[in-house]
Amino acid sequence: MTSEGSTGKYPEYRKRLGPGWWLSNPRYTTYMIRELTSFFVSIYAIIYIYQLSLLAMGNFSSYDIFVRNPATIVFSIIALFFTLYHAFTWFYLIGRIQPIKLGRNKSTTPLQALAINLVLLLVISYAVVYLFILR
Amino acid sequence: MATRGQGVLEKMTKETDIETATLKVFRYRPEVQLEPYFQEYKVPYRRDMVILDALNYIKDHVDGTLSYRWSCRMGICGSCGANVDGEPKLTCASFLHEFKDKEIKVEPLANFPVIKDLVVNIEDFMEKLDAVKPWIIRKEETPPEKGEYRQTPEELEAYKQFSMCINCMLCYAACPIYGMNEEFLGPAATALAYRYIADTRDQDHEARFPIVHDKEGVWECTLVGECSVACPKGVDPMLAIQKTKILGATQLLKPPRRRK
Repeated sequence: MTSEGSTGKYPEYRKRLGPGWWLSNPRYTTYMIRELTSFFVSIYAIIYIYQLSLLAMGNFSSYDIFVRNPATIVFSIIALFFTLYHAFTWFYLIGRIQPIKLGRNKSTTPLQALAINLVLLLVISYAVVYLFILR
Repeated sequence: MATRGQGVLEKMTKETDIETATLKVFRYRPEVQLEPYFQEYKVPYRRDMVILDALNYIKDHVDGTLSYRWSCRMGICGSCGANVDGEPKLTCASFLHEFKDKEIKVEPLANFPVIKDLVVNIEDFMEKLDAVKPWIIRKEETPPEKGEYRQTPEELEAYKQFSMCINCMLCYAACPIYGMNEEFLGPAATALAYRYIADTRDQDHEARFPIVHDKEGVWECTLVGECSVACPKGVDPMLAIQKTKILGATQLLKPPRRRK
């Protein structure tokens, strides 16, 4: 859908985004941090699958050594921080996109929606844990 | 009432006080040289003057070769957009005194090819705008004497903010996704598509689905949200894009015969 080149007899000038574009504006930077969080979440997912495979093979001592490793603990804390950041920013955005209706003419502000969504998340998580484990 | 009168007088003197602003304006003059450069201009200004007034001052009194677009100078025509100090703004709505004691950098809208100085090629947006069919589609038009197509205030509220778009393209200049992939349908075109999709008078919303739900349509958006920050008319294009994504996802759940 783009018209490349020029409209007349002179070439058009085109400035492309450089690799540091996301540092030019603080809002771009927070966006990039949110995108970056997925890196830590995916690495954690791989570690988690590895841990499960150790348990599935009955390799409990290796599992024990692995989870007690300071590197695993430090990475888990970092991953937790980024996961929480990701979850909060997403729930906040969901509140902007899909405000929850409160009556006929009122709907939630993004922060109210964030709070309601977090409460719902906790309730549903507890329900799932109760149904499959605690019961 | 002497003190009150004095207050008004003081305010007036303040408003007519003349100060000097330094504008660093992006110049691209391919007929002279192919390398763009910045040119500095000193412009005297009063408190009520905007960047566009400064550009007009330069054009009239300093340098007639400077090119830029403008028309209404009241935030309606959407033609005077430029990147002012790195942020896309309507130059008619950015006051010089807000940049006091500072050099003001004026560049063409980011992410668009530059034809000359501050004039960018808007062809791409125009094609996208046309592609989303920004008009009410009726299965059958009724003659005017049969009356208007009625809707309730609630139905109007569903799309009203999106109808405020003035096609100024500041949201495209603010969007890094568009900056990296110009095939992306982008904020304003989607906002206008959604404006008609959400309009109860429109009878063929699905006519726009192939365009908005295309790979380069709404799915390219990764929620930077800067379009909604840049919009000078209070439109929230990011919201329109996400609502269109929800429509796309729910559309898939419908029985196939209803899909197009």
